[in-house]
Amino acid sequence: MSEPIKIDIWSDIACPWCYIGKRHLESGIASLGDDAPEVDITYHSFELAPDTPVDFEGSEIDFLAKHKGMPAERVQQMLEHVTGVAATAGLDYDFDALQHTKTLKAHELLHFAKEQGLQLELTERLLRAYFTEGRHVGRVDELVELGAEIGLDADAAREALESGRYAAAVQADIAQAQAYGINGVPFFVIEGKYGISGAQPAEVFAQALTQIAGEREGAVA
Amino acid sequence: MSEVDTATTDAAAPAPFAMITGDPSAMVCEGDVCFIPPAG
Repeated sequence: MSEPIKIDIWSDIACPWCYIGKRHLESGIASLGDDAPEVDITYHSFELAPDTPVDFEGSEIDFLAKHKGMPAERVQQMLEHVTGVAATAGLDYDFDALQHTKTLKAHELLHFAKEQGLQLELTERLLRAYFTEGRHVGRVDELVELGAEIGLDADAAREALESGRYAAAVQADIAQAQAYGINGVPFFVIEGKYGISGAQPAEVFAQALTQIAGEREGAVA
Repeated sequence: MSEVDTATTDAAAPAPFAMITGDPSAMVCEGDVCFIPPAG
């Protein structure tokens, strides 16, 4: 039995294409059926907009139109586009309900969850909460509640967030991305050897994993 | 989050891995902007 193929993913909870890319990766793996290699996925922090306030009052359109000065009509068109692509990936984005916020604490909780062996579960839970349920993923109380839903101990999660114990781990991930020259997300690093940028189609992930698994077999033959 | 058609960021520094190009129109996000990265 060979070791799982390692996939490191730089991603932000507030990144619509990261959730779509996650689904495409999962679909790509699933499409390989019995031939799918075993994978070991680790998510890494990437804060797209560190200057975002935790408690921004307004919609996503308000944020981009008023806070960032983009034309509201163009923002609306862009959100409709990403909502449509998300739908093809089986994701029901709701930008009217979305609560724009700073994601630093969410990343800290993801590092805590990683230590508990629940990082993948929390990543999915936070992305779903942010993009489809209109939940606020910047506040400690809501993060603790979401973490508890996937099996994290609520008191321990709260202590992890209030102490800021994982802030350095978040910054280390961001520094690693910078060292790699990663400017945008999602970004996938497979086996530490191959980089894949963006929300690629499922077949790209399937082909890459098949190729890498084949290279491994060739190396041991 | 928003989208533009082209990136205006500097080219990435050399990475310790080979890039798999895949679909060149795959979207990425930087800051508040999501876009199709430039070729090259």
